[in-house]
Amino acid sequence: MKTKKLILTAILTAFALVAFVIEGAIPPLTPIYGVKLGLANIFTLFALYALGTRYAAAVMSLRIVLGSIFTGQLVSFIYSLSGGLLSFLLMILLKRFFPLKQLWVLSVLCAVMHNVGQLAAAVFMTQTLAIAYYLPVLILSGIIAGAFTGLCAQLVLMRIAKIQYKN
Amino acid sequence: MTNRIWIVVFSVVALLCLGIWLFISNVSSPSKVVGIYKDGSLVEKIDLNSVTDEREITLSGDFGDNVILVSNGRIEMKSADCPDKICVEHGELKSSSSPIVCLPNKVVIKFENSTDGADAKAGAVG
Repeated sequence: MKTKKLILTAILTAFALVAFVIEGAIPPLTPIYGVKLGLANIFTLFALYALGTRYAAAVMSLRIVLGSIFTGQLVSFIYSLSGGLLSFLLMILLKRFFPLKQLWVLSVLCAVMHNVGQLAAAVFMTQTLAIAYYLPVLILSGIIAGAFTGLCAQLVLMRIAKIQYKN
Repeated sequence: MTNRIWIVVFSVVALLCLGIWLFISNVSSPSKVVGIYKDGSLVEKIDLNSVTDEREITLSGDFGDNVILVSNGRIEMKSADCPDKICVEHGELKSSSSPIVCLPNKVVIKFENSTDGADAKAGAVG
């Protein structure tokens, strides 16, 4: 059973990396730093609900480190990590309150938290509070992106649960 | 049922954010004085209305150079060596609520509030 989980973790990490690299190759929709879908998080959420907290942590941290190496953007690594850590803490704290049917809610909360964390890091790095003006648009994009990635993971997991019942 | 509550909550927050964003991005700056910041400290303060000749300002950072183009009444990031070029795509600085930001090189260009104390000090020096 443990081997199975390990393999699934590796596969999910690989999927997350591919999603991350492909998303990075698409030109940004808006000239605002941090507005993106975050497709890789679908796989983190999947790992969280299908495997558990530790496996989700592995998928996410490996994806952030390897993704930064593959895309060669060390700057975004710092922002990625600060946002990622904050949202992951929130995720493991709140997971018990959200069953599979509310996975998308957890996803939205984490996505918003991620963007707020990233913005806080940007304010800290540039020592300029004026960047905080981007807060509303980053919260908005967090809600949309979080709902999308959350629903992707949730719908797949619910279908898988159905198949398992039939067999 | 709980799903519905969450949908309502998120929709309200989203609309609120959209409203605030549209509001603050349409407030044009009363002053035409811009400040260029590098690593959080002021590099140069320019009154865009008093600029007569077009000129370029080059700032060097960890990820290469940022070239800022200043002309009468307008300022923009002309080019940058950073990988994402978000500051270049931002275009002309229009609103006091959306500064031009280059995160890799930690450069910020924004309108200055002409009533604050920093301006008086800069004016005295200039």
